[in-house]
Amino acid sequence: MDALEALARLARKAREEPIPIFNVADEVRLRIRSEKPASLTLIPLGLFGGLSAVAASVTLFMAIEFWKYMSSPIMELVAPLPEMRLW
Amino acid sequence: MENTDWSDVAASLNGDDDAYGRLVRRYEKPITGLLWRFTRDPAQCEELVQQVFVDAYFSLKTYRGDAPLLHWLRRIATRTGYHYWRRKSRQPVETTLPEADVLEQIEAAQEEKIDPAEAAAVLQALLARLPDDDRLVLTLMYFEECSTQEVADRMGWSRAKVKTQALRARRKIKEIAEREHLLEKLGWTL
Repeated sequence: MDALEALARLARKAREEPIPIFNVADEVRLRIRSEKPASLTLIPLGLFGGLSAVAASVTLFMAIEFWKYMSSPIMELVAPLPEMRLW
Repeated sequence: MENTDWSDVAASLNGDDDAYGRLVRRYEKPITGLLWRFTRDPAQCEELVQQVFVDAYFSLKTYRGDAPLLHWLRRIATRTGYHYWRRKSRQPVETTLPEADVLEQIEAAQEEKIDPAEAAAVLQALLARLPDDDRLVLTLMYFEECSTQEVADRMGWSRAKVKTQALRARRKIKEIAEREHLLEKLGWTL
C-alpha cells in the first residue's frame, strides 16, 4: 500500500465520523436582526421632509394670496420709500 | 428546488423570520459537516456555521433557484471555510503544534478498527500542512467526495486549475505522509 492509498482509506473512515450538532437557528436569527440595516432611520428623515414640504406650500399659498391684493406690486415695493425721512 | 424550500425562501424574503429558521434547521447538519472539515474546534465551527447562514440570508435575493438550495449553501460554506483558513494562515503562531501532536499520537490499527474521529483528525492534520488552495481541493475531494468540476463550481475556479492543483496537492501530501512515516505509524505497511 502506498501513502496515497492510505490517505484514501483514512478519508473513507473519516467520512463516518459523527458531526457535532449546534442548533444555530436562534443565534442566526439574533445576528440577522442585529446586522439588518435599520430601515427605521429613514422614517424621521421622511417626516422632516414632509413637514418642510407642507410649510413651503402654506408659505407659497399665502404669498400668492397677498400678491392678488396688491394693485401694483412693484410700486408697493418702493412706495414707502418717498415717505422715509432722508435727513 | 423542493417546494418547501421555495416557499420558505419566498417567505424569508418577505421578512418571515420563522421561515428562515426552518431553512436553517433543515440544512444546518450538512453545512456543519462541511465546516467541520475546515476546523475541528467546536466553538470556531459553530461560529462559521452561523456566519454561513447570516451571509446566505443577506444574499438570498441573488438565489435564483436553478440549483437545489443545499448546493448554493455549500458554495457559501466552502468559501467561508476557505477565507477562515486564509485569515488563520496570516496568524502564524497557532495550529501547527496541536496538529503535530495528532500525528505523534497515531496508534497502529486495522482500517476497520481505527476510530473515524481519529482518522479525520489525522487526515486534517496532514492536509493542514499544505498551502490553502491545495488543502481546499484535497479536503473537498477526500471528505466531500467532490469531483474536479464540483470543486471548480464551488470556488468559481476553472476545472483546469482544479485539476492542476489536485495533481500538485496529491504529490505534496504523499511526500508529507512519507516523511511522517504514516504507513508505519498506522501499521498499514503490509
